[in-house]
Amino acid sequence: MSWLAVVRSWWKALRHRSQTDSDIEAELQFHIDAHTQHLIESGMSPEDAVRQAKVEFGRVDVQKEKYRAAIGLRPLHEIGADLRYGVRSLYRHPSVSIAGILSLALGIGATSAMFNVIYSTLLHPFPYADADRIVNPSLIDEKQPLVPTWFPLEPAQYDRFVKARSIDSVLGFALRPQQEKGGAFPEDVGIAFVTPNMNEFLGVPAMLGRGMRLSDDGQNVMVLDYKYWQRRFGGDRTVLGRTINLSDTSLTIIGVMPPRFTFTETVGNVDGYIPWSTARTPALLPWIKLKRGVTPQAADADFKPYLDRFRQETPMHFPKKFHVDVQPIAAPYMHRTGRTLALLFASVVLLLLIGCANCSVLLLARGEARQQELSIRSAIGAGRFRLMRQLLIESFSIALAGATLGTALSYWLAKLPLTLMPGTFPQEAAITVNWPVLGFSISLALLTGILFGLAPAFRFSRPDVSHMLQGRSQTISATGGRSLNLLIAGQIALTFVLLGVAGAAVAGFMRITSMKLGYDPNNVGFISVPLKPDPSKNQQAYASYIARLRDTVAAVPGVVSVGVMSSGIPPSQPFGGFGRPSSFQLLGRQSELQLNTLVQLVSPEYFATLKIPLLRGRLWSQAENQRGDFVAVVNETFAQRYLDGHDVIGQQVRTDAVKNDGRPASIPSPQSAEWRQIVGVVADYRNDGLERPPAPAIFVPYSTFMWNSTQFFIRTSAAPEEMLRPIRNAVHIFNPDQRISGNKINTLEGALSVQTIWIQQHMFSVLFTSFGCLALFLSLFGIGSTIFFATARRRNELGIRMALGARRGHIVWTVSRTTLATIAAGVATGLVLDLYLRASLKHWMPGNNSSVWIVVPVTATLMVAAFIACLVPAIRAACADPTETLRNE
Amino acid sequence: MGKKVDLLQGTLEILILKAVSLGALHGYGILLRIQQISGGRLEIPQGSFYIALYRMEHKGLIKGEWGESENNRRAKFYTLTADGRRHLRKETEKWAEMTDVVGSVLRATPEAL
Repeated sequence: MSWLAVVRSWWKALRHRSQTDSDIEAELQFHIDAHTQHLIESGMSPEDAVRQAKVEFGRVDVQKEKYRAAIGLRPLHEIGADLRYGVRSLYRHPSVSIAGILSLALGIGATSAMFNVIYSTLLHPFPYADADRIVNPSLIDEKQPLVPTWFPLEPAQYDRFVKARSIDSVLGFALRPQQEKGGAFPEDVGIAFVTPNMNEFLGVPAMLGRGMRLSDDGQNVMVLDYKYWQRRFGGDRTVLGRTINLSDTSLTIIGVMPPRFTFTETVGNVDGYIPWSTARTPALLPWIKLKRGVTPQAADADFKPYLDRFRQETPMHFPKKFHVDVQPIAAPYMHRTGRTLALLFASVVLLLLIGCANCSVLLLARGEARQQELSIRSAIGAGRFRLMRQLLIESFSIALAGATLGTALSYWLAKLPLTLMPGTFPQEAAITVNWPVLGFSISLALLTGILFGLAPAFRFSRPDVSHMLQGRSQTISATGGRSLNLLIAGQIALTFVLLGVAGAAVAGFMRITSMKLGYDPNNVGFISVPLKPDPSKNQQAYASYIARLRDTVAAVPGVVSVGVMSSGIPPSQPFGGFGRPSSFQLLGRQSELQLNTLVQLVSPEYFATLKIPLLRGRLWSQAENQRGDFVAVVNETFAQRYLDGHDVIGQQVRTDAVKNDGRPASIPSPQSAEWRQIVGVVADYRNDGLERPPAPAIFVPYSTFMWNSTQFFIRTSAAPEEMLRPIRNAVHIFNPDQRISGNKINTLEGALSVQTIWIQQHMFSVLFTSFGCLALFLSLFGIGSTIFFATARRRNELGIRMALGARRGHIVWTVSRTTLATIAAGVATGLVLDLYLRASLKHWMPGNNSSVWIVVPVTATLMVAAFIACLVPAIRAACADPTETLRNE
Repeated sequence: MGKKVDLLQGTLEILILKAVSLGALHGYGILLRIQQISGGRLEIPQGSFYIALYRMEHKGLIKGEWGESENNRRAKFYTLTADGRRHLRKETEKWAEMTDVVGSVLRATPEAL
């Protein structure tokens, strides 16, 4: 037999359904007529012949049914009928259907949204060709293993490196901010010098004009970043071909990149891309696209001999002892947000389970009222399988409707974590409608359909016909009651867990916002200033330039005080190696402990500006500040951890963190790595992130180690943002060529709110609170509707009881006592689960701990809310007029 | 007219194929022709006859087309398709082999063994 014929026949039967039906009818009628004719010819009377022909043939409509069975379409027809019937029965109980659809929509929406977030930010965050093969070749310094560094390559090295066996291609780039003159102030323009294969390597074409070509090598052309194009040129499409003057070079604009393109974001934001040349930058950082099938480990081994050679050639680009650690570009994000997203995903799955349980509860409760209908179907011959299929199709209809709504909802919901956690996801990640996510939603719908449809299907596909057809309602049947109660208890338990987590998240966030920082971030702004490299200037000239610039800013009206700090932003923001623990030595002391400390480069005014008190000794003088060597101040933790019981003042300390590393950009003081005397102890402040206690820290004058940029922390009397213009004015008057990085002033309060832990806890508390509330709402709805249906079914019984003198209180107790007990059991289970989960939760949600203050309110809220949900319909039933009820019978 | 024989399981299809192979026929005509050829000795249940007909059309062994009957009524005429012709040949061979084997077994006598 040929498949084509089969499909054609099905198609015909389905597409031209009424035509097929009438054809069959006509053919069979013809048969009967012909047979009749035949019988008449053989001598039968016409009436007898018609009768005989019809009897011999049987019923025509039965034949039609047999026809469908013969060509294998019967199940399809039945399912079609079931579907129509199912939709009609959903329509008949709109409140139940809407509640079911909504509870699923919320669950499926939240789960799909979370899957979408994981998919778009972790699995496929980058819009590049073969993004999974692009890697960061970072180095791990064996001396400071916590600080992965990148290595620059010189042109000759670059050409050799590209030929390595595991490399497909390499993109080289270097970030060098440039200056644009001509406006009121010199503007800072973030520039990436790139190898001209940029567009080809990343597989992203320009949005406007063209991308870079190999023929652009070393040319004076520039491709604009989308944001810069919007900001500087107002999104003008005629910008192509125009020239822009950056640091005395005239560049022709050849294209604009699309908004999602910001590949340098891990190192800094960029306004434009310019082809690289040796004159522009002597060395490039590589991004590598590995050949297909090469693992990062294999690449590590392959790169090692190259890098060992390069280290010999350019020792200052590499640490003394290191190993290569090739990482996929998504790895840092995976590390940063993987756990958070996993936890959120687990919680939305809980929410979905609650939604499913709710649907089951609704269907079970409603199904009790449908027993009669099902019994009749069963009595006239519907098999168990047919009834189960009917019930499952009904739950699938709910599931599909819920999934449709939920998927629509999920695209809106998925954007929520990205807005709540700015800066923690790759900038290029975008939430879009995509097939994997749609597929996920659809499978979720089918799965949930089965999940919540099974219990009602099993329960009601075996109706007790004799009992039901008597038309008497009775008390809730034992089996239905049991699965119903189990579901409700499960719902309550899961809700308890979600509420418990929400409570913990909120408590954790409150702890962070009310944390003692040790410094006062209020009204403190900071600016970053690039320093022009000038080979003719020595360390003293740089130090005094910074000091004079500081004095200039400090003289601006409205500025209270200004401190210099070049090694980070409190509470933590590591700048390369600074701001991360470094090793040090104490003179005359051998320690078993691994000696680690933060090394901070500051001016003495820094402490006053941030209101960090001096506890003992003194701060260094202006003269010592200018020189940079021989003095240091330590914090309280340093004194306690490393010099406990000794007189701190006068101890000698030295660290290699500020040693001359020979890099061209570094400007160290002559004896920066020599012994320095501790002259004072300052109070602790949060310098190692909000989630950890203060780390030991040594403060040395900023002139100890300078490079091409420093920062000023500025305490102002008004909001720091408003001081930008006067400060820029003052800086401009001091030196017309001096820029301010990013042309903006940031605030310490702003720096606090982008702390990962702050953002994370903020998001946890917002999302978990909403999840908890949703779960609570769903559970309450389930409880309420159970009691409601139960009382509706027992109306006669209750009416009789009341007519016989039962008091209202007794009625309320009768209808709600099982559910009340169920709720209590659910809360108890939830409590146990919650305590059990606490330990592992601590691991996933750092900074949270269990406390009675969370469990007690959660228990109380849930208990009270559940009891109200239970009692309201019960009281309503008890208030019904018994004579009215009984008359309705 | 001899004794009526019950139809063997699965033989209805070959009979229909054979009947149709002799020329286009409508359903009733097929029924009549089988009875005619068999000398009226085969009893074909009319209910299952049409089911077999539909199943064969569904599988593409025969093809039905509407036309005029001998007494000028609209009737569906069936013809053999290429698939059906192949099927008939194969089934005929199988049938011959089957009857041959079964016949020889049944004809066996103690002497022949």
